[in-house]
Amino acid sequence: MSESRLRVAIGALALAGLAIASYLTYARYSGTQLYCATGGCETVQHSRYAVVAGIPIAVLGLVGYAAVLGTATRRGPLAAAAGVAVAAAGMVFSAYLLAAQLFLIHAVCQWCVASDVVVSLLAIAAWARFACAQRDLSLPRVAESPQPRRRRLPQQGSAPARMP
Amino acid sequence: MSLAARLPSLRAMAHDSAVRAPRRRPHGSARPPAPTSVPWLTPRRLLVLAAVGVVVLAGILIGVSVAGSGGGSSSPGSVTGGAQTTALIGGIPQQGFTLGSPTAPVKLVEYGDLQCPICREFATATLPTIIRDYVRTGKVQLEFRGLAFIGQDSEKALEAVTAAAAQNKSWNMIDLLYRNQGQENSGWVTDSTLRAAAAAIPGLSVPGWLGDRGTAATKAKIAAMRSQAVALMGASGIRTPTFEAGRAGQPLQYLPITSLDAGAFTPTLDQLLAQ
Repeated sequence: MSESRLRVAIGALALAGLAIASYLTYARYSGTQLYCATGGCETVQHSRYAVVAGIPIAVLGLVGYAAVLGTATRRGPLAAAAGVAVAAAGMVFSAYLLAAQLFLIHAVCQWCVASDVVVSLLAIAAWARFACAQRDLSLPRVAESPQPRRRRLPQQGSAPARMP
Repeated sequence: MSLAARLPSLRAMAHDSAVRAPRRRPHGSARPPAPTSVPWLTPRRLLVLAAVGVVVLAGILIGVSVAGSGGGSSSPGSVTGGAQTTALIGGIPQQGFTLGSPTAPVKLVEYGDLQCPICREFATATLPTIIRDYVRTGKVQLEFRGLAFIGQDSEKALEAVTAAAAQNKSWNMIDLLYRNQGQENSGWVTDSTLRAAAAAIPGLSVPGWLGDRGTAATKAKIAAMRSQAVALMGASGIRTPTFEAGRAGQPLQYLPITSLDAGAFTPTLDQLLAQ
């Protein structure tokens, strides 16, 4: 897949993640009850793991998805590197939070699991884009590779070989 | 200028055109690679940059989260144990401050303060056995009579429990608050903690619960429970936890307890059940 298509895919996934994070942030600050088929959403959202340094995880998710969306709007290897760094870090942190839900909070939030799926797909797409960027970065250097051996030209003033 | 003298510049032009010549890119990509303005950027350095970014970001997030989740008491605005509470008492009938079948032959009453550490020990270590063996089986009905004599946090917590009792969810709130109990009068009973506890109770209408917290009816119920405690222990002799037990429909008897082990309660309950 080309880098431009990957950027579109990353943008779409980041928008999906933004939608989930926006809903969780809205519910957090408005006090409305989450729609929850698994029954553990409120427990998870109000657990001590739902806040990092005083910032709700939902807000961190908003910032993270917005950052990845921002990298998808820009071309270049640095944007690809930033995108994969944020998406992969988000995936690692989501895995930690999923483990906290299963083994510490003993409740599962369906919205968090949905976000886990989105961020995992995002990390895969960002990695593919990053691989494209790495390959593109190496291409110009092919042209700058050691010059082909040139045929030695006769020096000015030197006597040309004469036919006998 | 002779042709020989112009040769170096011609060679340079030829080399430039070779560099700029359009090349077929792999994977069918239509666009040429984006030029980078960062001369030091190599594929290897880009990989290192991304890897460092992942490690630093994930490390900071997980590190701060682990540090913030440590300690015995919960941070403001969060509660834990909602699932355990639901598993413990879910499906058992509640009516006001009672837990258990209304037709249970035996009644066990606890006078407790939600800030009292020994009440917490009873709630977390002893009560699960009693609930499993006597309440869930329909033999015993529990009743909580809340007191607020330790301090201001007790009053706020008891109002929260009384408001939950209006929706027959008092035991969910009691159990959650004991699980998340903080240091006495440290200000641990914050509005955000109470809201988090209320939100963690399945079926509780949080707006309704919020509206019931400070009402005259709530204050009257709290006053009534205090009157019952004073009648049993005297105004100056109130202590928690204190227990009463008896057959349903008959006067309750003070239950002296020397230990909070479930074994200290079961002989009395079995004896009452056998009557």
